[in-house]
Amino acid sequence: MTAPVERISLVVIGVGNPDRADDGIGPLVAARLGMLPGARIMSCNSDGFTLIEEWSGADIVVLIDAATTVSAPGRIHRIDLSSDELPCELGIASTHAFGIAEAVALARALDRLPRRLVIYAVEGVCFDYGADMTPEVAAAVDEVAGLVAAEAAGCLPNSMRTDAWRTDP
Amino acid sequence: MTDKRTIRVDTLARVEGEGALDLHIQDGTVVQAQLRIFEPPRLFEALLRGRAYTEAPDITARICGICPIAYQMGAVHAMEYALGLKVDGPLRALRRLAYCGEWIESHALHVVMLHAPDFLGYPDAIQMARDHGPMLNRALALKKAGNEIIRVLGGREVHPVNIKLGGFYRVPSRSELKPLAAALDSALEHAIELLSWASTFPFPDFERDYEFVALRHPGEYPFNEGRIVSSAGVDLPVCDYESVFEERHAAHSTALRSVIKGRGGYLVGPLARYALNFDRLPEHIRSLARDAGLKPICRNPFKSLLVRAVELVYACDEALRLISCYEMPDRPAVEGLPRGAVGYGCTEAPRGICYHRYEIDADGTILGARIVPPTSQNQLSIEADLRQVASRSLHLPESELRALCEQTIRNYDPCISCSAHFLKLTVHRERVSHDSPC
Repeated sequence: MTAPVERISLVVIGVGNPDRADDGIGPLVAARLGMLPGARIMSCNSDGFTLIEEWSGADIVVLIDAATTVSAPGRIHRIDLSSDELPCELGIASTHAFGIAEAVALARALDRLPRRLVIYAVEGVCFDYGADMTPEVAAAVDEVAGLVAAEAAGCLPNSMRTDAWRTDP
Repeated sequence: MTDKRTIRVDTLARVEGEGALDLHIQDGTVVQAQLRIFEPPRLFEALLRGRAYTEAPDITARICGICPIAYQMGAVHAMEYALGLKVDGPLRALRRLAYCGEWIESHALHVVMLHAPDFLGYPDAIQMARDHGPMLNRALALKKAGNEIIRVLGGREVHPVNIKLGGFYRVPSRSELKPLAAALDSALEHAIELLSWASTFPFPDFERDYEFVALRHPGEYPFNEGRIVSSAGVDLPVCDYESVFEERHAAHSTALRSVIKGRGGYLVGPLARYALNFDRLPEHIRSLARDAGLKPICRNPFKSLLVRAVELVYACDEALRLISCYEMPDRPAVEGLPRGAVGYGCTEAPRGICYHRYEIDADGTILGARIVPPTSQNQLSIEADLRQVASRSLHLPESELRALCEQTIRNYDPCISCSAHFLKLTVHRERVSHDSPC
């Protein structure tokens, strides 16, 4: 038994808690995108399991989430799960026990991964309740929104179809 | 010669919150089982002081991401008591519907994702999914149905913002509830299948003679209202809760622990609610419970999973009934004016009764607050279960005993985040000979 009943070409989900500083990058990018033709754009601040239902029926899914700092706050990583593994060192930040990594593993076990799942992970440094977003992370919002829009339009340059390309936020 | 063992399990997974358990075994007997909750106190009661009476529902919703409705409902009922406000009709029905949503998402998550792996021998739900995929899909669909109820009534799934004293900021139209009913039709079928599946689990043969404590309402399986009753004869209005129940501090826990004065520990949650309110379930739900092998009273804490599954069916069924009867009210909330008073509220969170008391002054400023979450009330019962379960299982290999202890704690779906608010299980086993210097 699987849920899909309606095919949606693209679902974009901004994951995170807007009230926890850099964790809010996902919802902020989703809000910045507003509407994209043929796409459903939404935010998710619930546990990772919810994501599987949210992307049900979608062909392509783009998630935007905060990650822990590996090199520099604001650095953007693009991970295409059809070719890449979710890198452990990014520790995709989750304020819940079940994050994106668990959702992806469960979806894989249930054969409910979309045909293509791309994650934009932005390195954050502050996840305090009620704190302002770090300037370097806030400065990445427009760029991530632009990249997701390009992704939706199917015109992401090949040079960006790799892991992290942005080393100097 | 004394045989003294300490068993240690450093991290308890699949619970909400952080804590630890120390289990001390001497001469084949468990002499001490301490549930140590070391998550820092969150001081909600203190930060409520000085805030406006109208802010309590939104502040207390932040106590828990799984059961915010329970805290909001406890707060609004207590404040309405203080103001002398009565909320009934469709507004009351919408509150019950919100509670159905919370039970559905919380119970579906616990029954399948957190607890079922213990009975079927998997380390987690992800490993279990390879062999039990259809049930995992049912749980995900149920969780989504519950989330949708909260989103429609609360404005968003997590920490809803649409609940206020006297009712709601905005109430839905009948047509807005229609899509929920469609999802709930499927959810009800999923819940019935989950109950049937769970009834085949191998449940350990274990019972304890608990004093059950729950709300009891003259005509309903309890969510928001009722008297506080127990299997040993307690029968009180909510305002008298503190005359019988008290919280105590223990050095090994940052959460207060509740007792019945003069008697000690007691049990709240699904087993208690079910035992004290079996006759309040509709006959077709009682019939499903019997088909699953449950009698009207169940004292086996491991079978709390089955009772949760029964309640999952009930919550879907009740939500459908409430939606079918719903007429949009003329106004989204009844209004009231503050006055110097003390208000009391108690509702049935997924894990058991959640008590609130607030004192407000004439202009509605909160002077004092007390919130007693269900996991705080169950701490002594968790420890007592562990002592008995471990005592009769000491022959087991270390890893199996440790797993059984963790499973025993998960019977309670403990929300340690609420009680203080995260759990690590630490069980110790040591062998010491007094006859030998080493």
